[in-house]
Amino acid sequence: MLSENEIKILDFLKRRKESTSQEIAEGIGLPLSSVFSIIATLESKGIVKVISEETRKVVRLTDEGKLRAEQGLPEDRLVTLLNGRPLKIQELRNALGKDFEIGFGWARRKGLITLENDTVIPKVSQYVSPEYTALKDLQAGKEPTGEVLEILLRRKLVEVKEEKMLRVRLLREVETRPAELYVTHEMLTTGSWREYEFKPYNVEANPPFFPIGKTHYFRDFIEKVKDLMVGLGFVEVSGDFVETEFFNFDMLFQPQDHPAREIHDSFVIEGKGNLPGSDLVRKVKEVHEKWWRYSWSEDNARRLVLRSQTTAVTARVLSSAPKRIRAFTIGKVFRPDSIDATHLIEFHQMDGLVIEEDFTFRDLLSTLRDIFQGLGVKQVKFKPGYFPFTEPSVEVYGFIEGLGWVEMAGAGLLRKEVTEPAGVFSPAGAWGIGIDRLAMLFLGVKDIRDLYSLDIEYLRSRRVI
Amino acid sequence: MPTINLNKWILQDMTGLNEQELVDYLFKLKSEVSPVSQDEYSIEVNADRLDMLSLGGIVRALKGITGKELGEPSYPVKDTDYILEVEKVTSRPYALACVVYNVKLSPDFYLKELIQFQEKLHDTIGRRRKKVAIGIHDLEKVEGKIIRYAPVSLSTTFIPLNQEREMSVRDVLQETPQGKQYGNISVWDSNSPAIMDERGILSVPPVINSDRTKITGNTKSLLIDVTGTNFESVMETMDLLATALAELGGIIGRVKVRGMSVDRSPVLRHTSVPFSLDDVNKRLGIHVSRDEAINLIRMMRMEVETNKDLAVIVPPYRVDIMNYTDVAEDIAMAYGYDRFTLESGRTASRGSLSEKSEIYRKLRTLLVGAGFQEVYTLVLTKSSYQRGEAVNIANPISVEYDSVRNSLLWNSLVFLSNNQHSRFPVRIFEIGDVVNRDESKDTKYSNSTRLSMAIMDSRVSYEMLQAPLHEVLLNLLGVAPSYRRFESDIFMKGRSAEVVVKGETIGRLGEANPELLRSFGLLYPVLLAELDLDALRRVM
Repeated sequence: MLSENEIKILDFLKRRKESTSQEIAEGIGLPLSSVFSIIATLESKGIVKVISEETRKVVRLTDEGKLRAEQGLPEDRLVTLLNGRPLKIQELRNALGKDFEIGFGWARRKGLITLENDTVIPKVSQYVSPEYTALKDLQAGKEPTGEVLEILLRRKLVEVKEEKMLRVRLLREVETRPAELYVTHEMLTTGSWREYEFKPYNVEANPPFFPIGKTHYFRDFIEKVKDLMVGLGFVEVSGDFVETEFFNFDMLFQPQDHPAREIHDSFVIEGKGNLPGSDLVRKVKEVHEKWWRYSWSEDNARRLVLRSQTTAVTARVLSSAPKRIRAFTIGKVFRPDSIDATHLIEFHQMDGLVIEEDFTFRDLLSTLRDIFQGLGVKQVKFKPGYFPFTEPSVEVYGFIEGLGWVEMAGAGLLRKEVTEPAGVFSPAGAWGIGIDRLAMLFLGVKDIRDLYSLDIEYLRSRRVI
Repeated sequence: MPTINLNKWILQDMTGLNEQELVDYLFKLKSEVSPVSQDEYSIEVNADRLDMLSLGGIVRALKGITGKELGEPSYPVKDTDYILEVEKVTSRPYALACVVYNVKLSPDFYLKELIQFQEKLHDTIGRRRKKVAIGIHDLEKVEGKIIRYAPVSLSTTFIPLNQEREMSVRDVLQETPQGKQYGNISVWDSNSPAIMDERGILSVPPVINSDRTKITGNTKSLLIDVTGTNFESVMETMDLLATALAELGGIIGRVKVRGMSVDRSPVLRHTSVPFSLDDVNKRLGIHVSRDEAINLIRMMRMEVETNKDLAVIVPPYRVDIMNYTDVAEDIAMAYGYDRFTLESGRTASRGSLSEKSEIYRKLRTLLVGAGFQEVYTLVLTKSSYQRGEAVNIANPISVEYDSVRNSLLWNSLVFLSNNQHSRFPVRIFEIGDVVNRDESKDTKYSNSTRLSMAIMDSRVSYEMLQAPLHEVLLNLLGVAPSYRRFESDIFMKGRSAEVVVKGETIGRLGEANPELLRSFGLLYPVLLAELDLDALRRVM
């Protein structure tokens, strides 16, 4: 691909096959230095050949010479100003400025004027100096010689310089259409794009940074879990982070003096909430006192905590005494812990609740198996477990390649002590699944903190499949 | 979950099971085994099975689940002439005692195991000794036949366990580690409860025993006292201890009791829990026959009353059986959870996402299309980051996480602050819940779902954020939002607006105030927007 100037030079050469750098520079109006570098480029591309290189002396106009060639020499201008009539020195000085001294001196020396007192008297009415003619000739390419050259040199209107001259020959014809960077609307409209060459890009270079929008990989996982649950016929519900101990613990049959309810096991919020106004509270108190044998305190139940289990949402759903429901919730729970690669003080649980008249423990196990298969855990096994609010209870283990059996969920049929105070008399299955740890297994995350990474480059660089 | 350590070889020897069999059978009994050393297993026991916190209890359960022994064992029990006299102890009114002969506390493992059981009971049913505490004594060192449970004044002296000198109860409470930890539980009016023989103090519940009756590897018979604030729990603890020792060959000696609602101890209570086989089968979704059910229950070391309706005779060590659902679980465990045939896709109901999730998905698709990176940050944050009223945690574990975010803006600023050396521009959004005061709720707080957007670059202008926000909302709602000048110290003066849709303000946006940037250590200009998605939903 050729640049615009390369094309100009080649077009010039096409007409005469051979030329000099000086002719080229003059012919297409480029500075000689540019011509040299373009010739070098064209030679490296094998299009032209430099057949000789010589250095010669050349006469060049000085800056003053250029000025005089344009304006005329000072003595010429002085004669023109007089126009055949005498004039005061002062008037001429005003008109010519600092050129007056030079013009006046040369005009007297050349006998073009005389001076009487302070008046200048012209001897000629018109004058064109040979120096001026020579300067013009030089501009036109004709170098001065002999006496005139000497005067011009003395008057510092020209100088003699050494100049390189290349003789160049065109080696081969090249298609020389103008090169363009962009295809424009105009080119396409007029069809002029056909007349252009388009510069190739450096297509193999790496591009600059381009920030793309991207979803968060952990939230993608959570959304996948939601889709799975919806597909299994579950309705999504949600609840608030701040919860009364009543819904977080009491309704779930966790006695108030239970170690899991001690202050270091949940985050406490100042203030007290209100309890539901129904029979629910009275009945919860009854079952607690009957089985756990302590004096149940309404005041303790009103304490506020950040929910430590999404089962609190399940408890809220239960308290509305649904006859039949399949519901799930995915949300944050909060538990004091030391923070490290596998522990955070907040994480997600997915809690599910099924209330159906003929729901059995076997159906619960089947549902859990379906959920884990949907998540991609092909093999599950069930271990009898214990949770205060379920009976029978089960812990679900899933088989993960390279890790073996991993505990993934706790589940069970809700105890009558939980459902009946809420006015639910059908069997009810419930479970809680820790989502963060599952996500880590599936997403190949070694540090749980990466699920909530504050490093945008980490998020930008994570592959999405 | 409580964990106990047991000697490998003794457990294998007593049960006749190898390591893999122990792992498999204990799995069926809610427990998990892991070797901790060449000679020891660590066993995780579920909190309901207090009987399995002991070697005797675990051996008994394993013999049942493997079918080696069925039903309730008949442990030898004989009456003794020991008498427990219980006086009025205001702070800790209940006490029982028992004697166990023929115990084996040597080699050392047996002694350690007994103390471990005592400690695990303290931590579970004992509620860290508040509700129940246990004292175990060498019976041969006990003087006389009358054991008294009565208040003593704090100036009474005795030699506490592992001390060399006589100390007053007051000094024991103030100076010994056990005294400092448990001393304040049961002291009242300068009195402390005490178990005494004819010579003096045997133990000061729930704190410490006397050194005089300390048990050793040579101890052959025990006197056990259990005191507490709830009679049932005291009784159950006593029964659990006596039956666990009996399983290992101990002979239970009954003590006469005066001043309690029972006249013999241990009570060795049996309860009857009637159940209908139909109910159990319906709950489990299996079909076991009557004979099969009886066998399964006996595998769980319980007996069944079969003459009329079925009822489980719950033995003294199964304090976790409440009603037929507990019976169902035991039947299921003995049946084997792995034997349940699973069926798929049993549902006629239609699932659905919450409206919140639906909007979340639509918004994030649009925002990603607008070139924003989704971020996901923690709900808990540093209270000093936040402005305005926020939920503070009364017992935080770190100042970095001592409050619940009341806005997503602080999280966005923290995120940006963390990414000042990343490739620019940084354009992020987050959709998530914050918590604000809400008097209409029973908790006085409610979650509110927010969307935050932020841009950080070497130079920013209002429209860089306003334009994408505008298009996102227009696409979501089909209505163009309008903007109303709004000033706040979060934003630079003259560079922020409220976002208004159908006359309702749903959020705000603008260029972050440099003062705010400084407080987050930000050295690049930032544009911020936050929308209230609950308000947005109301105008949809």
